[in-house]
Amino acid sequence: MEAIAQQVTERVVDLLVSALDVNELAARIDLNALIGRVDIDAVLKKVDLNSLIDQVDVNAVLARVDLKPLLDRVDVNDLLSKVDVDALVERTDLGAVIARSSGGMGAEALDAVRSQAVGLDQFVDRWVQRLLRRKDPAPSAPSALLPAQVEP
Amino acid sequence: MTVQPAVVSYQGHYAGSVSRFTAYAIDLVVTTAVFSLALAAISYGVHIVTGHNVSWNRSNIVVAVLFVLWQFVYFGYSWAVSGRTFGMAALGIRVVAVDGSVLEPRRGVVRALVFPLSFLLFGLGFLGILVQREHRALHDLIAGSAVIYAWDARAAHLRFLARQADLVPGARPPAGR
Repeated sequence: MEAIAQQVTERVVDLLVSALDVNELAARIDLNALIGRVDIDAVLKKVDLNSLIDQVDVNAVLARVDLKPLLDRVDVNDLLSKVDVDALVERTDLGAVIARSSGGMGAEALDAVRSQAVGLDQFVDRWVQRLLRRKDPAPSAPSALLPAQVEP
Repeated sequence: MTVQPAVVSYQGHYAGSVSRFTAYAIDLVVTTAVFSLALAAISYGVHIVTGHNVSWNRSNIVVAVLFVLWQFVYFGYSWAVSGRTFGMAALGIRVVAVDGSVLEPRRGVVRALVFPLSFLLFGLGFLGILVQREHRALHDLIAGSAVIYAWDARAAHLRFLARQADLVPGARPPAGR
């Protein structure tokens, strides 16, 4: 008797499920309201992220990443133009490396003499231009050097 | 002594009178010293071989001609091969073609040949360095050359910053940050 009752119940459930349009049912559910009732913070607190990350093979994930198209999208020149090299040299060990690897007293003296000479050149040139009463600026560099080297 | 950022931006510009005159003064000292040493070495060699003392007189025409020839070889070879003499290398300037390209060896030799012309009429040929818009002297105009700043001022500025960072304690944060 019990077996018959069970068979009848199963049959009824089968008929009911096949008669239901699950998609329509899902469409009627307001997922936002449902999610709004869920305390996601509480759920996340229960998740042990460390153990989750431990289970992830990062190397395998990285091996799947194709870096080339990723790097192709990066404008390296733009990136480098944003780097303040002066600050980098002043604040990092890079400055010490440069100081130790380049020159010494000789280079320091040459740098000083050259920069002083350039300063004096400009001073003399300014006075000469003033005495000659020239108003339009003279070309600063040969044409072949203008685009490559003179731009600040 | 600092390498100002403003100086950095002059790289590739026409070199001015002070740099050029200082470079020439250095070259003059170097060539004269080398020439004097060479004469002394020759005198010593002649003395060793023949036992005779040879004294070189500055007014001796042979010595004068040799000195002029030596000057021509020194400047001509330097400009033809690398576009710079020892003095110019020290001051960080170099001779280039008028458009800024590398100077052809032929032009370097021509420049050395016509260089004495700039001394004529009390050095009026050099006035171009002061008043000509591209700072070109008479020998530059004839040889189709110009002199520019060619030293790596950017690297010099970084070296200055590096030295400052190395000298001033606390200028750099501790490693590991």
